[in-house]
Amino acid sequence: MSTPARRRLMRDFKRLQEDPPTGVSGAPTDNNIMIWNAVIFGPHDTPFEDGTFKLTVEFTEEYPNKPPTVRFASKMFHPNVYADGGICLDILQNRWSPTYDVSAILTSIQSLLSDPNPNSPANSMAAQLYKENRREYEKRVKACVEQSFID
Amino acid sequence: MADENIEPDQSMDKKYYEDSNVNQDDLILQQSKNIEKEISDSIMLVGDKEEIMVLEQQYIGDEVYKGKVKDLARKYSSLRRTRPDGNCFFRSFGFALLESLYHNQSNYESFRIIAEKSKDKLLELGFQKFTLEDFHDQFMEVVNLIGKPDTTEDTLFEVFNNKDYSDYVVVYLRLIASGQLQQDADFYQNFIEGNRTVFEFCRQEVEPMFKESDHIHIIALSTALDVGVRVRYMDRGDSTEAIAHDFPEDKAPQIHLLYRPGHYDILYPL
Repeated sequence: MSTPARRRLMRDFKRLQEDPPTGVSGAPTDNNIMIWNAVIFGPHDTPFEDGTFKLTVEFTEEYPNKPPTVRFASKMFHPNVYADGGICLDILQNRWSPTYDVSAILTSIQSLLSDPNPNSPANSMAAQLYKENRREYEKRVKACVEQSFID
Repeated sequence: MADENIEPDQSMDKKYYEDSNVNQDDLILQQSKNIEKEISDSIMLVGDKEEIMVLEQQYIGDEVYKGKVKDLARKYSSLRRTRPDGNCFFRSFGFALLESLYHNQSNYESFRIIAEKSKDKLLELGFQKFTLEDFHDQFMEVVNLIGKPDTTEDTLFEVFNNKDYSDYVVVYLRLIASGQLQQDADFYQNFIEGNRTVFEFCRQEVEPMFKESDHIHIIALSTALDVGVRVRYMDRGDSTEAIAHDFPEDKAPQIHLLYRPGHYDILYPL
C-alpha cells in the first residue's frame, strides 16, 4: 500500500543513492521502508574521526510532517546523545521542517558530532568533560570509535 | 566523619546518575503525543458548518463575549471550526479559499496560475527542489479538484479531513508564507521579535508544522497569493463588536476567519 509517507521515503532513498552526501549512508531495512539503517562516519579533524557509527531511523505515517525517531545503535559518548542512543537535536524535535529529508537529517547529525552543544546536554558527563577536560573527553570518544569497529 | 562506617548506597547513586540522563526529549514527546491524540480524537481537522449562534452557548454568563457573538450574528450566518493543532490558521485559510473558489469559478483560473507558479519563486529562493516538488504536486492535486466537474462541496470536505492531503496543503501554504517573508526580508525584519533573522524566523516559526500563526504569517500568505482575508477578533477587549482586520490592508476580503485567543475558525457572511 502506498501512502504519502512511503512514497516520500522512496524518493528520499532515491536521492540518497543518486546524490550521496559525504560521510553518511542509509537505506531502508529489507522488509520495512518505515525503518532505516544508517551509518555516519566520524568527521575528519574531530575525535570521532575513523569511527563508523550505526543508527536506526524510524518513520511514522506522518513523515515528513513529523520527524522520524533517530537513535545511535553504536555506543556513543557525546554531550547531545542519551545513554539509549537518542539524540538531542533541535531539528529532530521542535525545529523540524517538512522540507528536510533523510539526507539532511544524517548530515545534520554528522555536524553535531563536530560541534556538540554542551549547553543542552543529554549526557551530562560528556558535556562537562567537553567543557572542562577536553583531553579526557577525547579519550572517551576514541574508545567509542574503537568500539565502533567491532560492532 | 560520623558517616564513615555507613555503606554508601551504591544503587541509589547509580539510579540518580541514570535519572539525570533520562531521555527527557522522549518523555516530553510522549506527553505532547498524548495531548495531540486527545484533541485529534475529539475534533475534526475541518468541521461541519454550524449556526453562528452556537457560539453563544459557549459563553453563557459572559457578557463581553455574548455581546460580541450578537454582533457577529448580524454579519455572519455560520462558522466552521477547525482542529486546534497549531495549523488552524493555515488549514482554515486553505479550506475557506478553495471553498470560495469552488463557488466563484471566475476567480479560480487566475488563482490556479498563481499557485502553479509559486513553486518557481520558492526554487529561486533556494528551497530544495526535491522536497518542494513533493508538496507542490500534492497541493496542486487539491487545487485542481476545484476545476473538475465531478467535484462537490463534500469532496473538499473529505479531502481536508484526510490527513494525507490536508497536512500537505498546510505544509505548502507554510512554504509560500515563508517564501514571501524571505523575498521581502528587509520589510518583515522590522516585525520580528528577538534577535532573529527573517530566515531563522521562517525556519523556526513558519515552516515547521503545528507552529501557531501570528499577524506576520497572515500578511505574508495573503500577500503571496493575492487573497484578501478579513479576520474578526473576538477577545476580552472593551469594544462591543468583534473588530475586523483586513489582510492585505487594501484588498477586499475573499475569505473570513474568526480569531479567538490562540485559535482560528472559518466564518461565512450573511
